[in-house]
Amino acid sequence: MSRNRLLRLGLALAALVALGACATKVERIDESKAEDLSGAWNDTDSRLVSQEMIQDSLSRAWLQEFRARPGQARPTVIVGDVRNLSHEHINTSTFTLEMERALINSGKVDFVATKEERQGVRDERKDQDLNARADTRNAMGRELGADFMLTGTINTIIDPSGDTQVRFYQVNMTLISLADNRKVWVGQKDIRKLVTRSKLRF
Amino acid sequence: MSAVRVAARVSVPCAAACLVALAACATFSDTILTTERSLAQQQPKIALAEYEKRPAASSDRVLNLMNKGMLLRMVGEYDQSTQALQEAKGLIEELRALSVREQALSVTVNDATKSFIGEDFEQVMVNTYIALNYLEQGQLDAARVEALQVDLLLREKEQSSPDSPYVEDAFARYLTGIIYEDEGEWSDAMIAYRKAYEAYESQLKSFSVAVPESLKHDLIRLADRMGLRDEAKGYRQEFGISDTLSESALLQRGEIILTVHAGLAPIKRERAVTLPNPATGRLLKIALPQYQARAQPLAYARLTADSQAATSSRVESITAIAEKSLEAEMPAITARAIARMAVKDTAARAASQSGGGGNNSSAGPLLGLAVNIAAVLTERADTRSWFTLPGEIHLARLSLPPGEYKVKIELHGRDQGVLDSRELNIALQKGEKKYVSRHWIPTNLEVRP
Repeated sequence: MSRNRLLRLGLALAALVALGACATKVERIDESKAEDLSGAWNDTDSRLVSQEMIQDSLSRAWLQEFRARPGQARPTVIVGDVRNLSHEHINTSTFTLEMERALINSGKVDFVATKEERQGVRDERKDQDLNARADTRNAMGRELGADFMLTGTINTIIDPSGDTQVRFYQVNMTLISLADNRKVWVGQKDIRKLVTRSKLRF
Repeated sequence: MSAVRVAARVSVPCAAACLVALAACATFSDTILTTERSLAQQQPKIALAEYEKRPAASSDRVLNLMNKGMLLRMVGEYDQSTQALQEAKGLIEELRALSVREQALSVTVNDATKSFIGEDFEQVMVNTYIALNYLEQGQLDAARVEALQVDLLLREKEQSSPDSPYVEDAFARYLTGIIYEDEGEWSDAMIAYRKAYEAYESQLKSFSVAVPESLKHDLIRLADRMGLRDEAKGYRQEFGISDTLSESALLQRGEIILTVHAGLAPIKRERAVTLPNPATGRLLKIALPQYQARAQPLAYARLTADSQAATSSRVESITAIAEKSLEAEMPAITARAIARMAVKDTAARAASQSGGGGNNSSAGPLLGLAVNIAAVLTERADTRSWFTLPGEIHLARLSLPPGEYKVKIELHGRDQGVLDSRELNIALQKGEKKYVSRHWIPTNLEVRP
């Protein structure tokens, strides 16, 4: 009797545990809260970089200097190559787009479409030439040329020892004047992490 | 009181049943016969489908991703291949921590219950093949990320196991050098080429791969570029090469870099001994893995474009690396197998004595027999390995003036005959490097005596 009851209880418990493991659990988390899982580059790092770069680029002298020139209102910037020279595959567009957004919304800087985006826009204009009503057509050859190009690199230095690693990330962003190759602004953000791998698991 | 006794009586046959269920699976290398056959028939697509049909154990996740990544690469699905291999890399990182549960299982059931994370050389190969995938897709910066990871991984391996026969991967170093040179990072390229050269020299005895012909030229070219006159002079004398293309001349031309991935890596087979113990009447079994080499009829590859040609050199013998790695690990594997035999025999003895005190005296010997049979059946060798890796890798570099070429890749056999020939159209620009690869597996995988 007691044996049967024990078995039944065990089976019921096992079934419950099995069912519980089936459901996918989703939990919304605040996007500004740092969640480090593997120690690799993540959203927090990207955000830290864009915050630093936006603040720095808007508060430096290049902007005032440009606006002080006669006949110049707002500088026009194009996003060039941000090269990933690090140990990890990093999506650089997350912070370049963030930066672009913040600079445009500040009303102090204009951005023009990048090389890849431009081709699509030109194709559309070509199409307008053929198919759009004459008074709504946008003519070719009237694009806005950029005054500055934004480029950058991500570099890393990793120092491993056993299960511990020091990961050092350095992100550099540079604004280069297209007129004379002058570097008008250089922003830098360093991130340092100590990553300890667990030695044991279940 | 009675509950405990019941639990004991129920748990022993239960455990025995579980063990039998586990043992019903064959060892890994017996489950891939159809995949192998399709590969030998030059049908990687069918091989991939066959491989995916296998029942997938959760402890084999990394292994399955590695094999899938390689098969996808053979099919030409580079993006998916990279994705599978990247996933494998992430999992290896996670599973590297020692699992208490798996350690316990490996001394009570068998070694194949441990999560597979690959041998050191297999882990480096993951990065190497991701890098090759990126290079062949023209994503140099992404390949550079893998090159940096190879540097880091090899540094860690050297720290953690300095006495292993495999502390350096000559080909992986060579490939990173090629990547850095393509990026125009001369000093990094020089260091990588030098490390590759040192590895080829020091591992010549164990892996018998000589310094590749192309690396000799690369060393001289980079040493000249870096202004290391004495070093360049030393290389020229040592290799007997007086004339080689300078870096600036090379940058005026394009270059085709061909890798040939020939044959399959050796496969692990089980070698088992079962003996009755006359003193107790119980069976004892010990099962160990052993590598079985594969046929390797490729001697060299020849790359021809117009009137110019380059001959490949062997840059890596995965066969030799795999065999030496297993050899180095054999003492630990054997020790675990012996410990397991003792644990299992103790369990069988305990089971045969457990029923003796109760009302049913015949249960004891029966239980003992059941446990003994289960113990023997579950004793299987761990034959898991990344078997879709090639047995050997060959590399050739051919520099050409910019232009369009019809390039011929010929694979020559050891008996001088041409094994395979294929043509490609390649357009080269000034300073451009194009990476091309060819996977080739012989129709007969068995080693001919």
